[in-house]
Amino acid sequence: MATNQGKGTIPGVEEGAEEIKTQEMLLNMGPQHPSTHGVLRLVMTLEGETVVDCTPVIGYLHRGIEKILENRPVMGGIRYMDNADYLSPMLNEIAYAGAVEQEMGIEPPRRAQYIRLLVGEMQRIASHLVAVGTYGLDLGAFTPVLWTFRDREGIMSLFEALCGSRFNVNYLRVGGVLHDFPKGWLKECEVFLDQLEKNMAELETLLTGNEIFDARTQGVGYIDPQQAIAFGLTGPMLRASGVNWDLRVNRPYMAYREVPVNMQVRQEGDCFARYRVRMQEIWEGIRLCRVAIDKMPGGPISIRTQIALRPPRGETYFAIESSKGELGIYYISDGGEYPWRAKIRGPSFVNLQILPEILRGHKISDVVAILGSFDLVLGEVDR
Amino acid sequence: MHIMAVLGDSLGNQLFNGIFSLQFLQFLITFLSYFGFVLTSAIILILAERKIMGWMQDRLGPIHTGPWGLLQTVADVGKLLLKEDIHAGQIDKSVFLLAPAVFMAPVIAAFAVIPFSPYVSLPGTAIATGIIYYVAMSSIDVIGVIMAGWGSNNKYSLIGGLRSAAQMISYELPLVLSLVGVVMLTSVLAGTPGYSGNAGIGSIAIKEIINFQSVSAWPGRGIPFWDFVFKGFTPWAWFFLVQPLMIIIYYICGLAETNRAPFDLPEAESELVAGYVTEYSGMRWALFYLGEYGNMTIVASIATALFLGGWSGPGVAFLTAPGMALGWQILGNILGIIYFVSKAYLLCFVFIWVRSTLPRLRADQLMQFAWLILIPTTLGNVLFTALVFLVLNGAGLPNWAFLIILGVLNWLLLAGFIWVVSRATAATTRRAQAPAIRASRAAAVAGQIPERTTVTSSQR
Repeated sequence: MATNQGKGTIPGVEEGAEEIKTQEMLLNMGPQHPSTHGVLRLVMTLEGETVVDCTPVIGYLHRGIEKILENRPVMGGIRYMDNADYLSPMLNEIAYAGAVEQEMGIEPPRRAQYIRLLVGEMQRIASHLVAVGTYGLDLGAFTPVLWTFRDREGIMSLFEALCGSRFNVNYLRVGGVLHDFPKGWLKECEVFLDQLEKNMAELETLLTGNEIFDARTQGVGYIDPQQAIAFGLTGPMLRASGVNWDLRVNRPYMAYREVPVNMQVRQEGDCFARYRVRMQEIWEGIRLCRVAIDKMPGGPISIRTQIALRPPRGETYFAIESSKGELGIYYISDGGEYPWRAKIRGPSFVNLQILPEILRGHKISDVVAILGSFDLVLGEVDR
Repeated sequence: MHIMAVLGDSLGNQLFNGIFSLQFLQFLITFLSYFGFVLTSAIILILAERKIMGWMQDRLGPIHTGPWGLLQTVADVGKLLLKEDIHAGQIDKSVFLLAPAVFMAPVIAAFAVIPFSPYVSLPGTAIATGIIYYVAMSSIDVIGVIMAGWGSNNKYSLIGGLRSAAQMISYELPLVLSLVGVVMLTSVLAGTPGYSGNAGIGSIAIKEIINFQSVSAWPGRGIPFWDFVFKGFTPWAWFFLVQPLMIIIYYICGLAETNRAPFDLPEAESELVAGYVTEYSGMRWALFYLGEYGNMTIVASIATALFLGGWSGPGVAFLTAPGMALGWQILGNILGIIYFVSKAYLLCFVFIWVRSTLPRLRADQLMQFAWLILIPTTLGNVLFTALVFLVLNGAGLPNWAFLIILGVLNWLLLAGFIWVVSRATAATTRRAQAPAIRASRAAAVAGQIPERTTVTSSQR
């Protein structure tokens, strides 16, 4: 029976306790709901307030990005990658440009690699800030989301100065980046990082250590390491379960070969651990940005490539550590100007599949706490 | 004919005398100012909340409508009045339409027992059942919430309504029990030197309780300036000093009663869309919000009256003393209103502060907190107060010694309470159970997946 199946996972309920049977209720959460982070739809079977079963329904934000990529020249496709994970466009572009470079067997100049590291880490910080802020909002705290969006605004402004656009940056190019830094940009960047460090300390006092926040997140939505690996989780979700796997460390790419990253791992495996991993990665990101600024080499920002880029016939898989996890591009070229296929391995999509497994036996309020801790971006799930 | 004429004459006389009597004038002024206060207070609080939360969150809040954004709420209410009143198709119409009124009416009615100054207070403030009347009125609110939840015929509304019912009923108990301590203090103090009333007979009338906090023994007797300041203004005798734990518990219960953060589960936006107000729009929606903010004012006002000395402040009792001229009397009452309202709004500010700081509790944690922590504590306080009085009375100590010793013990209890709560939240929530959950989940999946907890680059 579905009910008993669900009961098995409820902690604290004694086995065999006699209960009054009530009718199960079907609750449809989303696609228009304040806390499903976009247009995720959850069809939940409820027993009272306890979730017995849950089915995520996706596809409400499907824009056919992979198909669009097949119909654009390689350089034209980079702009469409912005919209896949719309909270970290810069990282998406790094993945796509990196895949094409790997296919073509070229290596961007050292300066371009460091620029990619710097903007990539800033984008990671921005993405984690949104994740942490909206997580606070999901749990009913109003203030964190406004503070984190204020800080993210600084990153947006820096990106605007760098590439003329706040969000759809279109900054990466195969073989390098589009522009060099404007005058004084790095100085501004350092000022911003100093300010961000102060603001982060303030944010930590607001959420970390708060009794209610602890009570809502600790021990909720536990994922054990085997399960995490079995479901193919990556990114902060995997590292929060105690698995030390970070592509920046384990399979370093571009400038990460020279800049060592301190991997952030937590052993608890619950919502709190996932929140903590993101917070620690923001701190680590600030450090990496400083390192990148200090070590920023001179030289060209891009290598010269043909205008009509024709990657050689063949296929390749290139993955980076995005803010959500392993963002991979499976790139197949038939030797023409257009990719024959560009498959995006979106970490949010893969991370989503563990949701029904975890939700079973939790309360409705926990659904929001757990879903928020996944940090899903539906743009990447549906693509 | 004759009898009728006499009757009519006397009725007319009574009516004439009644209308132009001082009592009627008092009633009229008070009634109008109350009614104005209830509605404007909600509007002011909504604006204040938006402004204060804005500052706390590093943004501006409303700035465009009127000077400094002052007319924002007025404009909002105007808009809501003109909006279409949308009814969803399958609603239970009579219940749905009536719910906002059932929610709003007791809020306005509860103001009847709140005195703002010695003169500006409805006749209800003197009635003997002040606290009970207030508790009764605040309990009726829950019916409006359930009606809204049921009548909307929406699952989110229903869950919100039921959650709210459970929450409001649970928090009603510690709320009442936390006020019992104050009533006990009045019965102890009654009749002793410096206090009014007959020995051993306390009061639950709110106006009386305010009087109990204004001791007639003040320093500087005879020196006009000190007379002016301290007559009727004795902050060292306010009950929050004697029962600090109780005002905090009352305040927490007030947060839950008014469905404010961190107890705003019924309208938990991130889970239940808008809880029981999901299907409402236009003025009916606004009534729920006005009711919520009105409720906030009431909770703050009751806390002010029972724990913070009500209207007492420098000059009030001096200026409103029987022998003073009418102008001084009016000035004294205005001062009293100012003191009362500023104390109440200080507490409302804490409401807003809490809202912008804390996340929301889960439903079961909320109930645990009420039944396992608040109710035992408040019940214990009733016993404790009585016990201390019996012991000290048996030892022959005067009442002021009782107050001081009880106060000291209560402050110690407050520290203990905070310690216990922080320990209890750690123990009762799943933080403590997390290792056990982890172990059971690990055991459940151990057979299915080959054991490999870490993956290193060499293995890959």
